[in-house]
Amino acid sequence: MKLNRIKVLSKDEIQIIHSATMELISTVGIKVDAKDTRDLFKKNGAEVDDKTHFVKFSESLVKEQLKSVPNSFKLYGPDGSFNFEVNTNSTKFATIGTPVKIYDPSHKKGIRKTILEDTIQQIRIVDSLEHIICSHVDVWPNDIPYTELHCHCIREWARHSFKPYGLGCLGKMASQDMMNLVSIIVGGEEELIKRPRLIGFMNPTSPLHLPQIMTNGFFVFTKYKQPTIVAPEALAGTSAPVSLAGLLTQTNAEILGGIVLSQLYNPGAPVFFGTVSQTTDMRSGNSAIGSIETGLITAGIAQLARFYNIPSRGPGAVTDSKTFDLQNGFERLQTLMFAAQAGINYITCAGTYEATLLEALELLIIDDELAGIVLRALDGVTVNEDTIALDIIKKVTMSTQKGTTFLGEKHTLKHMRKELYFPKLIDRNRRATWRKRGSKDIMIKAREKVDEILKTQKGPGLSAEVEAELAEYTKMVSARTFNDYMRAEGISASSVTLPDGMEIKSDDK
Amino acid sequence: MTLEDSIKERILEWDEDGLIEICKSAMEKNEATPVELLKIIGNVMEYVGEMFEREEFFVPELIVASNTVKAAIDQVLDPAIKEMGGERETKGKIVLGTVEGDVHSIGKDLVASFLFSNGFEVYNLGVEVPATKFIEKAEEIGAKVIGLSSLLTMSMDFQRQVINELKSRNIRDKYFVIIGGAPTSEEWADEIGADGWADDAMEAISLLNKLLS
Repeated sequence: MKLNRIKVLSKDEIQIIHSATMELISTVGIKVDAKDTRDLFKKNGAEVDDKTHFVKFSESLVKEQLKSVPNSFKLYGPDGSFNFEVNTNSTKFATIGTPVKIYDPSHKKGIRKTILEDTIQQIRIVDSLEHIICSHVDVWPNDIPYTELHCHCIREWARHSFKPYGLGCLGKMASQDMMNLVSIIVGGEEELIKRPRLIGFMNPTSPLHLPQIMTNGFFVFTKYKQPTIVAPEALAGTSAPVSLAGLLTQTNAEILGGIVLSQLYNPGAPVFFGTVSQTTDMRSGNSAIGSIETGLITAGIAQLARFYNIPSRGPGAVTDSKTFDLQNGFERLQTLMFAAQAGINYITCAGTYEATLLEALELLIIDDELAGIVLRALDGVTVNEDTIALDIIKKVTMSTQKGTTFLGEKHTLKHMRKELYFPKLIDRNRRATWRKRGSKDIMIKAREKVDEILKTQKGPGLSAEVEAELAEYTKMVSARTFNDYMRAEGISASSVTLPDGMEIKSDDK
Repeated sequence: MTLEDSIKERILEWDEDGLIEICKSAMEKNEATPVELLKIIGNVMEYVGEMFEREEFFVPELIVASNTVKAAIDQVLDPAIKEMGGERETKGKIVLGTVEGDVHSIGKDLVASFLFSNGFEVYNLGVEVPATKFIEKAEEIGAKVIGLSSLLTMSMDFQRQVINELKSRNIRDKYFVIIGGAPTSEEWADEIGADGWADDAMEAISLLNKLLS
């Protein structure tokens, strides 16, 4: 049988959490900043308080809207030649995390700020991997103005990758740019809607808050039927109760709120039931994404997603470690294994460390190997007459020939590639052989693979006409100021939190 | 399909009987001499080795290919060459075994298989082989190399005894003595006066290629 799924909630407990969630949604509700979105809720029977911005709605509205949520959908690369399906049974692996720094041993601190060239390299590495099938705006191009980086990222993705891409749904203006740019690349809006290329990240702010800038962008993504990930990043003990059941209940309300909204915006829009919730380190107040409880939360969300029959997304291969030590290794595998074994359908954050703030291209290679290992684990043990192999056991045991082992049996040849995972990086040589081959640790071998990929990988490229159209569009975007964006979103610049150290052009003095 | 292609196909289908059949019929129809057949088989085994280096084939493929080829050589080609008064050309004859006091055979047999598939003529004497038996067999067949395996720390010293026995018979220089096994090491090889040490089967091949070149 296949490897047993990890469960942290019994059927009754899922029901209890569901009921508590419905009580929360109908008595407290969710804070929705955008007036037009509140109006949409109101039109569909929700109780709206325009002073506090809280929207309360009933279980029947939730049930009604969940009916149109698809339980499977496909994503395509820029030229359409590559695609994959996400469904409620799939186990897919991807990146994300928005690292702003990258591992660079040539730098005196061993790390440095990321630039567009790193973004490109990350896209190219992911394009070459076997199991990691999508990159998102992971590696932040610090050398590109904040107001136009989506243009650069999308262009580089389309030049260099055959796989889909993901971006945050931050604002309607930027999200509309994303749709326009990708429409130019794929040959029109109709094609983009028919065969989605982008994943949009929509993060409710815990507790129970859908900020205007997020719902604005969310609206655009759902309008174009690009799959969106509704994933709160609640911290147990800080932005959610420290009790994991409380966190699961609260974030369930946040996720369902987002998913209901996606269907109100555009019925049938594909959406993920997501989580990046984690715990608070009570010694420092920091987040703890590599904690064992993150695994438990992820498992609980996977169960709830199955309860609602919606594909799930959760973190795996994540760590709080600042170096390539044992903590990095065991937290990666622990969170990855938890997510996969819990049945998360889209597992993200490959290639990152230090709570996803740091990238190492080497880790992408290692995580791809871990993904292969985990997939093998999920396959479990196949039991049938051929795999029980009574005849072979008898033959080898009774052989009078010297040195007969199972290694020389055709049964071994027939089954080994399915029964055993063949690692690419893991070293099992004896010491002398390992030494002769340079005494390389896994990071060195991963680096060699990175170098090899960067030497040979080639993306689909873009035609001169598309390049020119994208350049023209980017020129138009470059002329905007930060406040142009804020005005478009209907919010003031001061209400927006920017990433650390981000500098923006402003026309307000 | 050429004869080369059919032979390659039989070997890669791990089909002993098929390979034997092709060899027999080729000789009967005068399509190829036993020596020419050996050359073709050698080329296929080289290909198997390359696939192994590229990590497309693994240990079982190497062993099963060796076993397939060995059956054809032992049952058909060797006897035919001998009948014609000749002797099969190989990279060199090796006497191999696990030393006295030790019954472990898997690693040593793996080495034997790898050596055979790399063109060496291997005399695998099995386990618990006394020093005198190693030497008598080597003398009898005119071996160039004696390979001594030991998995037990307790049996390691028997590797030294084989070397001492060669010395006492004044024939130490006639042979390359190579050793291997989990508790052994380069230092141990130096200490007992062996000519080389290999950590695994692949290393054993490079070691022998170096010693015999």
